Amino acid sequence: MTLKEIKGTFFLVFFAVTTAFFYNHFSPAGIALFGQWQTSSGVVNAISKADSPDVSIEINNPETIWQIIQKKERMILDVRPLEFYEEGHLPGALSFPLIEFDNVIGRLLEMTDQHSPLLIYCSGFECMDSHNFATNLKDMGFADVRVYPGGFRQWQEMGYNIEKNEK
Amino acid sequence: MKNNINTVILFLIRLILGVTFVYAGYHKIADPAGFAKILYGYALFPGFSINILAITVPFIEFVSGFCLIFNFLPRPALLQINVLLSGFILIIGFNLLRGHQFDCGCFVFSSQNQTAANINLLIRDILFLLSGIYMWMKIKKGVL
Repeated sequence: MTLKEIKGTFFLVFFAVTTAFFYNHFSPAGIALFGQWQTSSGVVNAISKADSPDVSIEINNPETIWQIIQKKERMILDVRPLEFYEEGHLPGALSFPLIEFDNVIGRLLEMTDQHSPLLIYCSGFECMDSHNFATNLKDMGFADVRVYPGGFRQWQEMGYNIEKNEK
Repeated sequence: MKNNINTVILFLIRLILGVTFVYAGYHKIADPAGFAKILYGYALFPGFSINILAITVPFIEFVSGFCLIFNFLPRPALLQINVLLSGFILIIGFNLLRGHQFDCGCFVFSSQNQTAANINLLIRDILFLLSGIYMWMKIKKGVL
């Protein structure tokens, strides 16, 4: 490589990186310089300007979730696609897939009201579906909606009971 | 005649690599949060580096691809592309070897299991890298 080419390489990298940070700062889809990638702090995400989860509604403790299930304190909603639900889900959970939200919301309104305590989960810490479902419900006036960010994966890994093939 | 064929081959490689990198960079620039989650899914990068990589790598891809297409600083642009491809190959290959399932996020973000697709991706990246190395050698010789 010649000195000119080395300079050219540094120039291109410098230009790209500078433009990247500049664009990210002003872009509506921009993200924070440091994201939330610790599962101990809840659902992992880049902390985006456009779409960041409300971590205040999370219950990030499977033992607490187990107690909620045993005491039947909340209606449990599994918002993963139906085929995943049928393969296994948290005890007592009902299937309300996020991708069919418009179709399933009527059934939910028949079964409960806007003051009922709900607990929503999806596949795990990388999944935003439970937060998106919760946001939709809160926009509709549901007042007590919580999310279990560990989702089915953590529940399974921790060795808690799983139900299968029940819709 | 042989020089003409070489010129056409190099032009095609330049175009294919350039367009591929511009496109790959563009869709990641449009959704940095999605790309950051893909990087997290590789389970290779420390948390503090994920967002920085998600912000900068797509622009390096885009700029180097753009420069290659328009023949502006072609060797520096090609060097970056070859370095990026080498990195992609190492990352994808390592994760395939250890059986870690991941979504490459190369062009379209997906939540599906893509192990089989990633083997094809690894082969594609190796072919791209070989093309890039071939082009690097030819540019050095002053053919392009």
